[in-house]
Amino acid sequence: MASKTNPTTTNARPTAFSRRQLLVGGAAALGGAMLAPALTGCSTGAAASGEAQLSFWHPLTGGDGITMSDLVTEANQANETFNAEQTVLTWGPPYYTKLAMASVGGRAPDVAVMHAARLPGYAPGGLLDPWDTDLLAEFGVTEEDFAPRIWEKGVYEGDVYSIALDAHPFILMYNTDIAEAAGVLGSNGQLVETTSPEDFLEVARAMTDAAPAHGLSYGYLNDGAQMWRLWYTFYRQMGAEFELPVGGKAKFDEEAGVAAFDYIRQLLDNEIATSTNDYATAVAEFSSGDSGMFLTGPWELPTMQNAELPVDAMPIPTLFGEPAAYADSHAFVLPHQAFPDENKRRETYRLVANILQNSIKWAGAGHIPAYEPVTEDPAYGELLPQAHYVQASEIVNYDPPAWFTGSGSDFQNLFGQHMQPVLLAGADPAAGLRDFKAALDVLLSKPNPV
Amino acid sequence: MTTAAVGNRAVATAGPAADDAEATATRERPRNRENGPGWAFVAPLVVFFALFLVWPLIHGLYLSFTDQSMTGAGGAFVGLANYAEAFADAEMWRALWNTVWFTLLSTVPLVLIALVMALLVEAGLPGKWLWRLSFFMPFLLASTVVSLIWVWIFNPQLGLVNSVLQSFGLAAVPWLQDPTVSMISIVIATVWWTVGFNFLLYLAAIQNIPEQQYEAASIDGAGRWRKLWSVTLPQLAPTTMLIVILQILASLKVFDQIYQMMNQLVTPATQSVVVYIFDTGFTGYRFGYASAISYIFFAIVLIISLVQFRTNARRSA
Amino acid sequence: MTAVAARPTRRMPSSSGLKPGEKRFGVARILAILVLLFLAVTWLLPLAWAVATSLQTEADAGSAPVSWFGESGVTFDAYTNVLGAGNVPIWAWNSLWTSAVITFLTVATCALAAYAFSRLDFAGRKPLYFAIIAAIVIPPQVLVIPLFYQMLAFGMVDTYLGLILPQVVAPAMVFILKKFFDQVPIELEEAARVDGASRLRVFWSVVLPLSRPILAAVSIFVFIQAWNNFLWPFLIINDTNLMTLPVGLQTVKSAFGVQYAQNMAMAILAALPLIVLFLFFQRQIIRGIATTGFGGQ
Repeated sequence: MASKTNPTTTNARPTAFSRRQLLVGGAAALGGAMLAPALTGCSTGAAASGEAQLSFWHPLTGGDGITMSDLVTEANQANETFNAEQTVLTWGPPYYTKLAMASVGGRAPDVAVMHAARLPGYAPGGLLDPWDTDLLAEFGVTEEDFAPRIWEKGVYEGDVYSIALDAHPFILMYNTDIAEAAGVLGSNGQLVETTSPEDFLEVARAMTDAAPAHGLSYGYLNDGAQMWRLWYTFYRQMGAEFELPVGGKAKFDEEAGVAAFDYIRQLLDNEIATSTNDYATAVAEFSSGDSGMFLTGPWELPTMQNAELPVDAMPIPTLFGEPAAYADSHAFVLPHQAFPDENKRRETYRLVANILQNSIKWAGAGHIPAYEPVTEDPAYGELLPQAHYVQASEIVNYDPPAWFTGSGSDFQNLFGQHMQPVLLAGADPAAGLRDFKAALDVLLSKPNPV
Repeated sequence: MTTAAVGNRAVATAGPAADDAEATATRERPRNRENGPGWAFVAPLVVFFALFLVWPLIHGLYLSFTDQSMTGAGGAFVGLANYAEAFADAEMWRALWNTVWFTLLSTVPLVLIALVMALLVEAGLPGKWLWRLSFFMPFLLASTVVSLIWVWIFNPQLGLVNSVLQSFGLAAVPWLQDPTVSMISIVIATVWWTVGFNFLLYLAAIQNIPEQQYEAASIDGAGRWRKLWSVTLPQLAPTTMLIVILQILASLKVFDQIYQMMNQLVTPATQSVVVYIFDTGFTGYRFGYASAISYIFFAIVLIISLVQFRTNARRSA
Repeated sequence: MTAVAARPTRRMPSSSGLKPGEKRFGVARILAILVLLFLAVTWLLPLAWAVATSLQTEADAGSAPVSWFGESGVTFDAYTNVLGAGNVPIWAWNSLWTSAVITFLTVATCALAAYAFSRLDFAGRKPLYFAIIAAIVIPPQVLVIPLFYQMLAFGMVDTYLGLILPQVVAPAMVFILKKFFDQVPIELEEAARVDGASRLRVFWSVVLPLSRPILAAVSIFVFIQAWNNFLWPFLIINDTNLMTLPVGLQTVKSAFGVQYAQNMAMAILAALPLIVLFLFFQRQIIRGIATTGFGGQ
């Protein structure tokens, strides 16, 4: 290396020049960086025609997703004024997390599908914009078109935040061939009505004798939602309440809760039903015709029909006195936008009204349309087996309201974590429920982050 | 100042002509204050640094003492309540333990396999570029691509791994679904993905071992085994130390592949600290609490980084 | 495996790889080749499997038995469908230009600052440099909550600015570049200074041309990181038109459910640009990683 020499002269005025040059250069660089995104942003968002470009988010895949795609495509074709583009995200926490993040950011999609029971986690935090019921009425959608329980679920502090597309209660599917062989079909060709736990066990045992494998399929492993759906259905049938007052303590009837578990365990005796099924296995068992009955949601109907299974369905029989079934609803919400575009909002209403009015197609995916003009139409009465469980929409029981409950929430996962040992390993249900309560009390003691 | 500069120059002049970084570390010190150009040159960096690093760092600390929510609600000062809650939070301890477990499981193979790869590739066998390509290519993939590929490979019914197992008459394993193996599955994918980086660092280190050392060993009659043990590995020891620490730091920050390979779901068996920060902060809206967890995590990283700095300093000395 | 692999290890400096008196096909040598082959095949297998799946029909890919080649033969349907859906090209373009801007801004700001830290004496130099070097230890993951909050305040959630700006901070690069500038002989600069050139002119026309290799190394490193970055882009972008490739592939699903062949086609398409780049610039990229690796973590 050559030896270094010191700078012997100091440039008298290098600073002014270089500083100015640098600032100009830096500003140009930054300016260029800021301009580029602005330009690109415009080019991707702008529409060629005068149609309002609507972005529509939902977490629906499989049968639901295809049906929703068709509904959106048809709505687009029937209306010159808008073009809705759907974005499908992963069901469950990923979807709800992203929806919340988009809403706080203020540049949210124009409309999204949300489970109605998730509303308490979104509406109070300003993550959703309320619906304008007058504008909805203009497009033919009013409160009178919905069952009161379903409409009420979308209201928060007097404002309507979600418009239900459907109700999807927990229901009972059955294989009519096996039921016939078991001699449990009534004169109308449907499963006989059962009104007590013993009645239902009897039917299930008859089914077991007639079915290749089991009388009943029920999958729950690592699936808090499935455990909650069945337990909550029986629990509510006993007339028991479940309350989650924020800042207070979880309130529920432990005795009824234990009784519900005892009954579920009687069903999972490895004769009537396997005690170690996960949900996918239960679907496979029933759809391949190996079992007589299946406890699930109506969304599995297309799977069974595709399998060409002789399937019928009914609301969960009222075994403990009061008709009740766990349910949730897919509902349309307006994620919060900081600067909503008047015209786009209007077209969004048009899109939603259009989908609601065509929701007989949605019934094809198994769900019970919430928009009653559809279910009251004679065409719906001919839709079987959908018409056989439509009454379930009157006995829907959503999750107890709290910011952490609803489909795909931590609440149902938490229930599963504490209750799986009860069903799988015969743990004490009372102890499980007390642990669950303790975990809920912790959640309730935390400040409501919404 | 002048004397210092002169002194430095003397050292620099006397130093051997080498392109080695250390030899020229004693470089010329400028003697005249140039505040104008100096500040102008650092200004753009300082703006970014202040806005997107210093400020969030301070603000994050402040948030950790509040009950700020993502939705804008809350924000009241709650003192140490978040920290008190965190230290009593079983889920946080589980996330910490999962992170440590992942770090242990991943660091050992990521260092050992990289070393073996580098030693073999530098052993003078033909086709060097091909080996290098094979081992390094996965490192160029985004975590998303890695996750897509490995979720498919680990698919219980249709995946490559289970089909191979079954062809040997073994039972299929639900690699990502079974909580007892899911972390190991993620580690396998991680090793495949990132070992190429450590491999490259080892390659560079091996190439930097002075030839004379081997020649000296040859004169002493050392065989290949002897040279491996008495020259190569001792020469690689400082590099290994550094790679281990860098790997520990990288593994502790794991998020991408866990979050994505578990289908964006939080599972008790795989939830790492950063996944927990994401979950409490963005899914649970609790920015204040998530900030507290972030700072607890930061403290741990800081301690390990200090160890790294000391090692680094010793290596440079 | 380790024991076997270590056995044949031997540094062979000559170009033939052999010292006089050594056997060309010793047991050790054959073992070494076998172990290398085993490792290389293991490391290439996942990618090969992804490619094989991407060339099958959805029906073949999604049904047992598992096979390398579908019953219906090789098809590019998955690629046509992925590219036809329109999202992937948009995401690829977003990834490309945002990564390029991030790389440019990072290298520009870091190089200017590193030069000042190396050559210029100004008030606050030492503490500032110390602060920047100390910041290397801050894991970016620790900052996501306050950064997101800050972006909310700036109204930058779901914007390209919110995506780009926080990624420009890379203190480790300042350290690497300063170390390089420290080694550049000062004579050339001084000659230019004597001729009356400003600091910026000296930096631009004397120092930068000398620094091309290190700038290339740093640029490569920053670009790869930006191109592959997941966490921050995932947090800040929700609008599908603004997503980068990694975020889009992970977030946006098909209404038709999981489609394995298309998934793999997307993975391959997303991986391709950097792999092609690597094939062309293998030497530079490897040198770049080796140079920046220790400092850049």
